[in-house]
Amino acid sequence: MPERPGGSPPAVRTSLGDSLAAGWDEPDGGLPPPGWGRPRGPRRLATVWVFALFTVLLAAGNALLSDRLTSEAFLAWATVFTAISLQALPFLVFGVALSAALTAFVPASFYRRVMPANPFAAVPAAGAAGMVLPGCECASVPVAGGLMKRGVAPAAALTFLLAAPAINPVVLVATAVAFAGRPEMVLARLAASFGAAVTVGWVWARLGRTDWLRPPRADHDPNAPRLQVFRESMLHDLMHAGGFLVLGGLAAATVNVVVPREWVAAVADRPVLSVLALALFAVVLSVCSEADAFVAVSLTEFSPTAKLAFLVVGPMVDLKLIALQGGTFGWSFVRRFVPLTLAAALVFTFVIGGLLL
Amino acid sequence: MNRIAQGIVLLLLGAGALSSTLFSDLYLNYVQPGFRPFLIAAGAALGVLGVSVIAGEARAALRGLPGPDTAPAFCHADSDDHGAGHGHATPRVAWLLLLPVIAVFVVAPPALGSYTAENAASAPPPSSGDGGGDDLADLGDPAAEGPVEMKIQEFISRAWTDEKRTLEGRTVRLTGFAVPNPEGEGWYLARLQMACCAADAIVNRVLVTNRPEPEEDSWWRVEGTWQPPEGDLRSVRNHRFTVETMESVENPPDPYE
Repeated sequence: MPERPGGSPPAVRTSLGDSLAAGWDEPDGGLPPPGWGRPRGPRRLATVWVFALFTVLLAAGNALLSDRLTSEAFLAWATVFTAISLQALPFLVFGVALSAALTAFVPASFYRRVMPANPFAAVPAAGAAGMVLPGCECASVPVAGGLMKRGVAPAAALTFLLAAPAINPVVLVATAVAFAGRPEMVLARLAASFGAAVTVGWVWARLGRTDWLRPPRADHDPNAPRLQVFRESMLHDLMHAGGFLVLGGLAAATVNVVVPREWVAAVADRPVLSVLALALFAVVLSVCSEADAFVAVSLTEFSPTAKLAFLVVGPMVDLKLIALQGGTFGWSFVRRFVPLTLAAALVFTFVIGGLLL
Repeated sequence: MNRIAQGIVLLLLGAGALSSTLFSDLYLNYVQPGFRPFLIAAGAALGVLGVSVIAGEARAALRGLPGPDTAPAFCHADSDDHGAGHGHATPRVAWLLLLPVIAVFVVAPPALGSYTAENAASAPPPSSGDGGGDDLADLGDPAAEGPVEMKIQEFISRAWTDEKRTLEGRTVRLTGFAVPNPEGEGWYLARLQMACCAADAIVNRVLVTNRPEPEEDSWWRVEGTWQPPEGDLRSVRNHRFTVETMESVENPPDPYE
């Protein structure tokens, strides 16, 4: 990546928390930069100037750099990073919009009527709801956050988070197309993913503590106009989830370009190790769940159970998802939730793979 | 990050999504053609949201309200969350949203090419449970004149299942880019196939041995015939292709198949 044009790094210093803590009129060296001319000028105006400069630098950078960047490895990395970002962007935007709509337009009483009050009963219901709503994993994180905000039990919302990207109709059809003539693969994916999601939900309902989750924002002012609630909720979620999604994309693109496929192939013929290897591969590769069946089918050297591990683990645990969950629910949540999910997904992969494949 | 900065970041991100779809074919380097409407919708949504946040701030500025980013009244109750300590403030990682903007506007990375084709997994032979070449359309009358236009992916999946050797002797037209063969004679005519986005690209290729190797990554449309291998079709790793004519083509609008 080329150096970030000079406009943005100084601005990093002025997050709201900092500025609240520092007080409004304390002179700060960050923004506007020293020598700018109006160190005490209104921040709003300074921000606009910084971004104007940034836009000029974008144009200049395009003119100067785009023909000189010739390193093949760098360009391949940049292509994969851009691809992951663009691929995830619509899912993120629509997920965030759906979550904001849940917050702004659906009254909280609706969920209390639809969802069973008992978390242990709500968990399988939430898992089944995941089977209906198409959506990528990037979309399901903000939606689960929105559900929690509306009073749905965290365990049920988390079950939905795990189930929706793994077993929605689009994914199942894609799996059936990729594994043509082998319907048992679709069935195994459905059973193992649903089982793992519901198990994690039950474990969370039994053992989970609310203070592990970052407290959701207090409910909005009931008198605020709904459109404003919608806008603020979308802005908040995009700002919190978007950066982490990009972070995950960076990591996934790096792994995608750097790790040679031969390493993956080298472990293909060892029964347990190959399953773990493909599970790990799914975690680092972070392919969208609508596409992962096509990737799995291309890993011809591996046993069906190993491919099943790729399909079950990928939509539930992967780098961009971990970054996204950390941004949305906090890291003390991720530290507990991700290992639990990974363990459940692997156990169900071995059991279902042993039974069906 | 204050609110006006958030608005501008979203606007730039939306502009990136829109400019790579509406005003150029850049998006085809990264995602499937069918993804275009979703990208446009997402870009438009981001643009509208960014503009409305910026407009709200501008109105506040004109009215001379204090403090650029007074939090809205309904978003104040976030207590301290461990570590980050920013409460409801935007995490700094949100600045990373500018990276895709830089990637699209400054770097504008090209489609994956021979570098990836040399390293990526190649397409597998069709699984044995498959109905052979049944789902492939009939090649048509062998006596009909003119070559058959095919994707490389279609060609090799036919070649892997063509027990009746219907492909033999037929003139086929393929389009792809040149990739050197590090392991021996000849070079590959290759095309990358993606299911969802460039991150999952796999390579389809045929081996050409009867022509001198062209420049790496140059695009060619070739006509020629399949060299049927000896023995079991499925044990073949690379299908060989005898080139009769080849002409240089400009990069096709959609680099993937």
